[in-house]
Amino acid sequence: RIMPVRWSRYNPSYLEPEVKKESYQRPLEELTEEEREQMELKAVRPIKAAPPTLSSSVFSDPMISKFTNMMMKSGNKVLARSLMSQTLEAIKRKQLEKYHKAPENEKETIECNPYVIFHQALKNCQPIIGLSNITKGGKTYQVPVPLTDNRKRFLAMKWLITECRENKHRRTMMPEKLSQELLLAFNNEGPVIKKKHVLHKMAEANRAYAHFRWW
Amino acid sequence: QLDRGCALHTAARDGLSSVSSQDVPAERPRAVFHTSESDPAKHTEQHEGRLYNIPLEEVKAVFPHGLPHRFQHQIQTFNEARVMVRKPALELLAYLKGSNFTHPAVRYVIYGERGTGKTMTLCHVVHYCSRQGWLVLHIPDAHLWMKNCKELLQSSYNKDRLDQPLQASVWLKNFKTSNERFLQEIKTQKKYMWGKRESTEEGRPLREVVEQGLARVRSATDAVGVVLRELKQQSHRGSFRLLVAVDGVNALWGRTTLRKEDKSPVSPEELTLVHNLRKMVMNDWSGGAIVTTLSQTGSLFKPSSAYTPQELLGKEGFDALDPFVPIPVPNYSPREFESCYGYYLERKWLQHEKAHTEDGKAELQFLSGSNPRQLDRLAGPL
Repeated sequence: RIMPVRWSRYNPSYLEPEVKKESYQRPLEELTEEEREQMELKAVRPIKAAPPTLSSSVFSDPMISKFTNMMMKSGNKVLARSLMSQTLEAIKRKQLEKYHKAPENEKETIECNPYVIFHQALKNCQPIIGLSNITKGGKTYQVPVPLTDNRKRFLAMKWLITECRENKHRRTMMPEKLSQELLLAFNNEGPVIKKKHVLHKMAEANRAYAHFRWW
Repeated sequence: QLDRGCALHTAARDGLSSVSSQDVPAERPRAVFHTSESDPAKHTEQHEGRLYNIPLEEVKAVFPHGLPHRFQHQIQTFNEARVMVRKPALELLAYLKGSNFTHPAVRYVIYGERGTGKTMTLCHVVHYCSRQGWLVLHIPDAHLWMKNCKELLQSSYNKDRLDQPLQASVWLKNFKTSNERFLQEIKTQKKYMWGKRESTEEGRPLREVVEQGLARVRSATDAVGVVLRELKQQSHRGSFRLLVAVDGVNALWGRTTLRKEDKSPVSPEELTLVHNLRKMVMNDWSGGAIVTTLSQTGSLFKPSSAYTPQELLGKEGFDALDPFVPIPVPNYSPREFESCYGYYLERKWLQHEKAHTEDGKAELQFLSGSNPRQLDRLAGPL
């Protein structure tokens, strides 16, 4: 008999697993009262199983894992992860080649760390304000609306991936396309930044309908 | 910071105690894992674990083919070719230095698990031999001749066998770039007919045979056969030393994925290139050495856990290659790992901020299991 697993819920007494090594290496005196109580509670209560995306590696990054999950198709995490690592390597190679060819005074301006480039590119792509469809009096209006942090991050990642999947030549590999897009976004150029600016302009144009928002 | 200094210190102490030479300057501790000795003939146990530089012009001349793909990308990114001096290579070089060339050629088989550095050891030996002035017959990967062949022609020399013009012409082109001066000196000993009208007279330099093979692609395979035969017959005279370096020698006795026009499978004996190469790898000639590598990565119909000569060569291959000198290639020793890690740090290949810490290094060592290929793959995105 197969037990239903996807929507099953843990008993509320189960605690979250703690994965970071540093939290276990602190001596007892450093901890405050609440933290000492938490440690004692952990000795007694059962702990939930760690999800497979949670890792104790020093190299793991939650943004990169989120991006890899969004790139994944039909559950093929192995392929998505290898594409992600090839993208980071491609970015690193391009930047290192530029670095070695540049003259001495420009060498410090060239950023070679693929993680820094990835985070900065995502930040540059995030829109500040979004549009949502509100129906009033039979007509739908595009109303400018503030976005939460999660929604901004999601939109930035979604735009990058759709841009790479659709608007490029059929035969180019994903790491190549992605590394090119990320480098352009890092320098505030490229089609994704343009899309963000178009969205901002639309929101600015529809300023008059802003009062339709009730939240 | 402190820990990294201590680790370098131990390596420096080991290096300095056994080395009294000039290539470890005290004021640049990061050069501990480099050595300025770029001639493989002078590499000894002192240089073990260190990386030596091959000038880029030499790389283009000596290795037109034969270097692994990842290493070629690495050369392009770092703008230099650094090869690590390891124990198996030093062992092989010692054997080659002490071998007697009037005796029949000794066969060396480099084996080991996946990604431990067999091809790089072979390249180190090829570099040494080309520096010493030997004639190097380097077949980059015998597995490439067993699969993905677009054109199979019936051989004009022998009706049963099949020719592979594309692979043969590519190999001839690379052979020409690596051994320019020998092709002028070595003369043919027999008259060879290429079809009805073209022929090469006796006493012409081998270069003409190679150019004939490159010009007429249909006879490229026969040109390869002629070259191999001439070299084998003339090597015992002593005017040149011959090194036969074959990567993936287990392909010669394996199976192929090629099919004839009537969809029947081709066995390796029916391919002319393989037939001639098998004759080359026999030890019935003198005046050189045969260094081969086993490889599971490109092999066909072999399980991925197989790495010993018995498993990969099969009964037929083992009997054909027997007796040989086996040379196992292990994973990195702790010292070699330190030197590889230090090289990546110095070349700014490890960009992640955590990769510079002790935790990051320990994690890399654990995840890769000190396997060179895994370390390279892991250090890529970091």
